[in-house]
Amino acid sequence: MERQEIVNGLVEILKTVRTIDPEKLKHITEDTDLRADLNTPSTELINIAAKAEHKFGVEFEDDDIDELGSKIKDVVDLVLKAKARQNK
Amino acid sequence: MPAQGRKVAVVGMGGAFPTCSGLQDFNDKLFSNQSLIREWDKALAYQKQLRSVVSGYITEDEMDLEMVTAPFAENYPETYIDKLGRIPDANLSTADLGSIWAMLGARDAVNMAGWSEKEVQSGQTGVVAGSGGSGNLILRVAWHHFFEEGRKSRIAGSHTVDRTMFYREAANISCFLKTKGVCEAIGSACATGLGNIGYAYRLIKFGVQDRVIAGGLEGTSLETFIGFDGMQVLSKGFKPEESSRPFDMNRNGFVCSFGCGIVALEEYEMAKARGAKILGVIDEYFNNSDGDGDMFYPSFEGQQRLWKGLMTDPGLRPDVVKVHGTSTPAGDAVELLSVVDALGESGYHISAPKSQFGHMLGGAGAVEFITAILMLENQQVLPCLNSNTLNPELEPFQKDAKWNGPDKSLAAYRDLLPLQSFSKEINRVACLNYGFGGTNSAILVSKDN
Repeated sequence: MERQEIVNGLVEILKTVRTIDPEKLKHITEDTDLRADLNTPSTELINIAAKAEHKFGVEFEDDDIDELGSKIKDVVDLVLKAKARQNK
Repeated sequence: MPAQGRKVAVVGMGGAFPTCSGLQDFNDKLFSNQSLIREWDKALAYQKQLRSVVSGYITEDEMDLEMVTAPFAENYPETYIDKLGRIPDANLSTADLGSIWAMLGARDAVNMAGWSEKEVQSGQTGVVAGSGGSGNLILRVAWHHFFEEGRKSRIAGSHTVDRTMFYREAANISCFLKTKGVCEAIGSACATGLGNIGYAYRLIKFGVQDRVIAGGLEGTSLETFIGFDGMQVLSKGFKPEESSRPFDMNRNGFVCSFGCGIVALEEYEMAKARGAKILGVIDEYFNNSDGDGDMFYPSFEGQQRLWKGLMTDPGLRPDVVKVHGTSTPAGDAVELLSVVDALGESGYHISAPKSQFGHMLGGAGAVEFITAILMLENQQVLPCLNSNTLNPELEPFQKDAKWNGPDKSLAAYRDLLPLQSFSKEINRVACLNYGFGGTNSAILVSKDN
């Protein structure tokens, strides 16, 4: 799975989070910060992680979620890490 | 102790009412003797597992709300959309259905009160509201996915606690309106609604707060309905509009209903000084417990003490008694006889709003308090619908040697129980509500003179 494909999937997830301004989703990059750039409430981050698990067909490790950063690339890395573990 | 000279005015009302577009529609339907009870499609879907399928329920659509389900958990309400844009998405994300009704009711009550933003967002404005809370969709689905499906705890997302915690409605109202005073919930089963208003009255009367948004509610929930259906205490075998029949000889249970009542209370002189419309003045609030060790059965002695505590000033005699009147075989007879014991056989009338919309559980006391205010405004008594036939025989407990209450059958008090609404001069209404655990609450509210 390509990184951009995951970014695109994450944008689709972020569109379902009603507390995020849809206008801010038009120019998402891997450096976009969920907290600082999108003003995502901290309580929504776990919801986004759970939706990402569902969308990409993976299950994250609890420790990895605990250490998850708030940038898009952090979530992309997490998905790829889970995919790699899945394919072992 | 009460602070010297402080009185408490009712200056605003709002809420959610079955089949009604708003408070005015609720008013119009009640005083034209309509029933708000319907067959419930959600109950009909489980008809083989339920005894009762009638309710005074409210759909999401009727409140201009839309449930957004989570993609990863079937039927899990991730959040709601307010189609009229009355509540910001951030507030909706922390609210269950009942909390949304509470926020909408609070918004309407505050608007009616005419409080400024500065007044609302003051340390002298509190919120006291709660629900019965015996079940809801959020917990059921979250727990199912965890316990039965073996999914991670995060499957329920990060809003299970804020949307199911005991004082969620008060918390959501406070976050929505940004109040800075007391924020709490009183829980007393089916007396919850009146208990919250009574507590709010005391906060103002005792000088702790100048304004309080108060009330009670029960969000539409089949999970709650199931609990009461399983107890075999719900009405069965009547048409929907005839199912709630307080005091009628053929009553066989209550109608499990849902709704929300929120009122704005304010220290009387402050409300007067700013020219507010005074909808009513609370004269007294009293609550107690039966103390007989019985969780469910009402106590005549407990209700006698309730009336004694309420009527400390014999000059404050009510023209109407808004009873709890659930339509259960046990409750109604004890209640009617305790009212007669306290007030005598004439000079007042009894109104049983549950005959029109059923029993709203944690919302009952607050929505029925609003009906009391509407009776004062309309100068009309709401009816005891379907109380067609009153028992001409003595109740079994009246034949007990220890019985010290009225010695006539319920049929002797026919004149107290109107089958239809009617006009008369109403200066004061007494409101009564009781709950499991033997809790009793009573309030006296008067027209402003």
